[in-house]
Amino acid sequence: MQKIPLMLAKAGMVLAKDVFRNDSPSGIPICGKDTLLTDNLLTRLDHLDVKSIYVQGHPVWIDGDRSLDDLLESLDQRFKKVRQDPLTSKLYDIYVEYLKRSMGDDGGRKAE
Amino acid sequence: MDEKRNELKKIIMDTKTLPTLPGVINKLNSLSENDKSSVQEMAKVVSSDQVLSARILRLANSPSYGFYRVSTISNAMILLGVNVVRSLALSSSIFEIMEKTSIGLWEHSLGVGVAANLLARKLGLPECEEISTAALLHDIGKVIINLKCSEAETLICRTINDRQVYMWEAEREIIDTDHAEVGGWLAKSWFLPDKLSEPIAFHHDVNFSVNHRIKTSVVHVADVLIKASGFGDSGDGYVPQIQRIAWDTLKLDEQFLAEVVEELEDKLVEVKNFSLELQSNDVSGS
Repeated sequence: MQKIPLMLAKAGMVLAKDVFRNDSPSGIPICGKDTLLTDNLLTRLDHLDVKSIYVQGHPVWIDGDRSLDDLLESLDQRFKKVRQDPLTSKLYDIYVEYLKRSMGDDGGRKAE
Repeated sequence: MDEKRNELKKIIMDTKTLPTLPGVINKLNSLSENDKSSVQEMAKVVSSDQVLSARILRLANSPSYGFYRVSTISNAMILLGVNVVRSLALSSSIFEIMEKTSIGLWEHSLGVGVAANLLARKLGLPECEEISTAALLHDIGKVIINLKCSEAETLICRTINDRQVYMWEAEREIIDTDHAEVGGWLAKSWFLPDKLSEPIAFHHDVNFSVNHRIKTSVVHVADVLIKASGFGDSGDGYVPQIQRIAWDTLKLDEQFLAEVVEELEDKLVEVKNFSLELQSNDVSGS
C-alpha cells in the first residue's frame, strides 16, 4: 500500500483504502477500497477536492525509481556528518527502520 | 572582520531595496497596536490589497498550518492570529521570490513548517501557529543573501560542493555571517515579535535563544527532521546535529521521535502535492 498525491494517480491503479470527503475518516465516504481507478473516476475525485489516496502496491516512485538499497545509501550520505552523534544517530536508526518497513512488505523493489 | 559584517548588514538591510513592505503593512501595524481595533477592521485593511491578500491566503492554506480552505483574510486572522497574518503579509514577497528561484528551498521551508506544527501539536505546546510561522520563515535569510550578494552566493555553493561543509559554515567563511543571523536582522527590521525572530535567528544554535527556547528548539528539530527525510533542498544535503539542549528542552525520546517520523512522512506526501499543484497552476497561469 502506498499513499500518493491524486495528481500522480493513474487509471489502472487500485484503491487500498476507502476515500473520504475532505481526506478525513469523519467525512462522507466517496469511494470504497479495491475500486479500480479510471480516468473518469480520477476527474471526479479531483472535483471533490480529494488530495491524496492510498493505492495497492507501490506504483509511484517519486524519487525516480529507487530501490531500498538506494534509499539507504542516500540516507547514509545525508547523515554522514552526524552518525557518531549519540542523539542524531537515534534519528538515523529510526529512519532506517522506517524505510525498511515502508519499502519492505509490499511492492518494495530489491536491488540486484 | 566585524567591519565587513557591518557593511554587509547595511547592504542587506537597505530597506529601500528590500522586496516587501507594501503600504498596507504600516496601517496594519498601527491598527494592531491599538487595543480598540477589531479583527474585522484589520482584515478590511489587508483585503484592500488584492495581490497581497491572495499571497497571504496561499500561505495560510499551505499544509504547514493544517487548516484547509482558509478563504478570507478575516478567517485567517481568527484562525491564525493577527501576528501570524502580519508576518505572512511581510514575508509574502520573499516567498514569491523563493517559489520562483528555488523550488527546493520553498519545499524545504514548507516541510519544516509542517514538521514544526506536528511537533508542537504532539507536545501540546501553546501557540502552534506562531511556531509554524517561525518554521516557515526560518530560512528567509537565504533568499536575502541570494538577492543581495549573488556573487558570494555562487562562492558559497562552490564551497559546499568542494569541501562538503554545511551551508552556514560556508556562509560564515565567505560573508562573515550566516542565513540565520541575516534572517534575524530581517525579522527585527520588520518588527516581528521575539517569538518569531528568535527561532529564525537561532535555529542552528538553540543556546542563544533566551526568551523563546521552546519554540526555537521545535524549529531546530523540525529542520533536522526535514533534512533527515531528504525532502526539498535547503542548499546542502547534510543532516545537522540535534542539539542536546533542544532535545532536553522538549523532553524528546526515541519512541516519540519514531511516531513523529511516521506521521511526518505521511504528511509530506500532501506537501509535495501542494507544491506540485502550485507549480502547475503557475505554468498554466502564465
